[in-house]
Amino acid sequence: MSSATTRSGFASAPELADVLPPPRQRGKVMTFVRRNPTIVAGGALLLIMILIAILAPFLGTVDPTALAPAKRTREPSAQFWFGTDMLGRDVYSRVIYGSRISLIVGFAVAALASAVGTFIGLISGFIRGLDTVLMRVMDGLMSIPSILLAIALMALTRASVQNVIIAIAVAEFPRVSRLIRGVVLSLREQPFVEAAVASGTRMPMIILKHILPNTLAPLMVNATFICASAMIIEASLSFIGAGTPPIIPSWGNIMAEGRALWQVKPYIVFFPAVFLSVTVLSVNLLGDGLRDALDPRLAKRL
Amino acid sequence: MLAYAVRRILATIPVMLFVALFVFSLLYLAPGDPAAIIAGDQATPADVERIRASLGLDRPFLVRFGEWLWQIVHGNLGTSIFTNLPVSHMIAQRIEPTTSLMVLTILFSIVVAIPLGVVAAWKHGTWIDRCVMVLAVFGFSTPVFVLGYLLAYLFALRLDWLPVQGFTSISQGFVPFLRSLALPTIALGLIYIALLARITRATMLEVLSQDYVRTAKAKGVGQRAVLFVHALKNAAVPIVTIVGIGVALLIGGAVITESVFAIPGLGRLTVDAILRRDYPVIQGVVLLFSFVYVLVNLAVDLLYTVFDPRIRY
Repeated sequence: MSSATTRSGFASAPELADVLPPPRQRGKVMTFVRRNPTIVAGGALLLIMILIAILAPFLGTVDPTALAPAKRTREPSAQFWFGTDMLGRDVYSRVIYGSRISLIVGFAVAALASAVGTFIGLISGFIRGLDTVLMRVMDGLMSIPSILLAIALMALTRASVQNVIIAIAVAEFPRVSRLIRGVVLSLREQPFVEAAVASGTRMPMIILKHILPNTLAPLMVNATFICASAMIIEASLSFIGAGTPPIIPSWGNIMAEGRALWQVKPYIVFFPAVFLSVTVLSVNLLGDGLRDALDPRLAKRL
Repeated sequence: MLAYAVRRILATIPVMLFVALFVFSLLYLAPGDPAAIIAGDQATPADVERIRASLGLDRPFLVRFGEWLWQIVHGNLGTSIFTNLPVSHMIAQRIEPTTSLMVLTILFSIVVAIPLGVVAAWKHGTWIDRCVMVLAVFGFSTPVFVLGYLLAYLFALRLDWLPVQGFTSISQGFVPFLRSLALPTIALGLIYIALLARITRATMLEVLSQDYVRTAKAKGVGQRAVLFVHALKNAAVPIVTIVGIGVALLIGGAVITESVFAIPGLGRLTVDAILRRDYPVIQGVVLLFSFVYVLVNLAVDLLYTVFDPRIRY
């Protein structure tokens, strides 16, 4: 459960009553909620999904991989909340555990693509000689539609969550590098950077102190959209059988297995579908809110 | 203009070369040694080596890439490992449903999204605007297969208005053709509609605040003419750019949509090829889709001057 450790900042968040400051400050919180309704709504939804992923064993689930041939394709009931699939596995447990894969893949791809993209973007923005070559390569990667690129990479390797993450990150990072390069190019002409150069600041320090902090806002906004897109691509890859290995319950896998039966037992497909859509929606809402709050220039453009 | 067009066309060559190199590396790096497979279990290492040499597999990477590229340029995409048919032949068989689906989706989305975006910008800040924006967020958040199953369940299984699955060729009549593609088009189109409506709204907001729009209103031009003639014309360039870029979403989405609706197109071909690890087919499809995507965006670039005569190269 690496998601529990990496997202522990969210996981150990105290109860709402503890978060709410004393009455004197409550006005500020309410103002934040009123001014950023999408951040709050998206954040709350995402927090619920993260809690579900972490607390999966305690939410009335059974072993999501346990087979029960005698109890195949049961309709949803008090015993099997979301019914059972064609191998008799409990769909509710599979969907709850499936949230882990989506969240891990979403966050990991966002982090990996942002890190690699920032690195390439910085090199490209600062080293003129490499810029043309790097950007041509990025153009080339971007001219292969992301899902196809991920499919092609998955065809090369063994199916595993790690490979899914790498394949999607390769498809997503060129856009980050383009974004960061653009920010760097406009920043290096700014007086405060020129002043730093003139006063003899070394390059690494300029990047660390002056450039990177200014890339943070667009980078964060972009990372949320990559996260949403990665969740959809992971589910799509699993759905067509080129993603997460079938033994691991992921929303795409559950839907792929429910496909053959969907005309008679549509619930097997619909429950993971709803969870996937709600999770992606929460991330998109968060991203929209962050963009409006952090990057008014970008908000105006889209 | 001509000089620009030539320069722009030449600029796509390195991009296409990179795509070709990437796709070739795919086959080059693919697990499994073709020589060992052909030689069989009984072969000695010397036999395998001989077969490898006879297939030309022992030559340097770049030499092989050059020869492969030469074949591609001549329309030879290789032979499927699984069916032993030429890949170009398999693609030709499957191209009609995919082309139909994509063209229909692009037309449908433009017809729906642009009026939505224009109205949202016009009624900026009202509930209409908010509805369009909410629709856009939902469009971005609903994966194409989720929407596909939902639509198929509602309109095909429950209401029985449209066929559940399959594809009817246009040669068997236009109405059955449209009926078979109606649900896939809507499912595939939603994310594209969301994208286009958003960019249309944003660009229109910018254009509507300009002086000439106020002038047009002041001299008594009707609301509809101001919106759709004066303003939309000047908002066209960013919108058309997104139409081109969004084609990437459609290509990825088509692969999934065809699986949901059992449409025998290139998407199904791709999925089958992956499940069988049929690398030449995967290669051919990725190459074709990327080529189409690059060409669409090239066409969009060249069309800028049509939409905005002020642009001179």
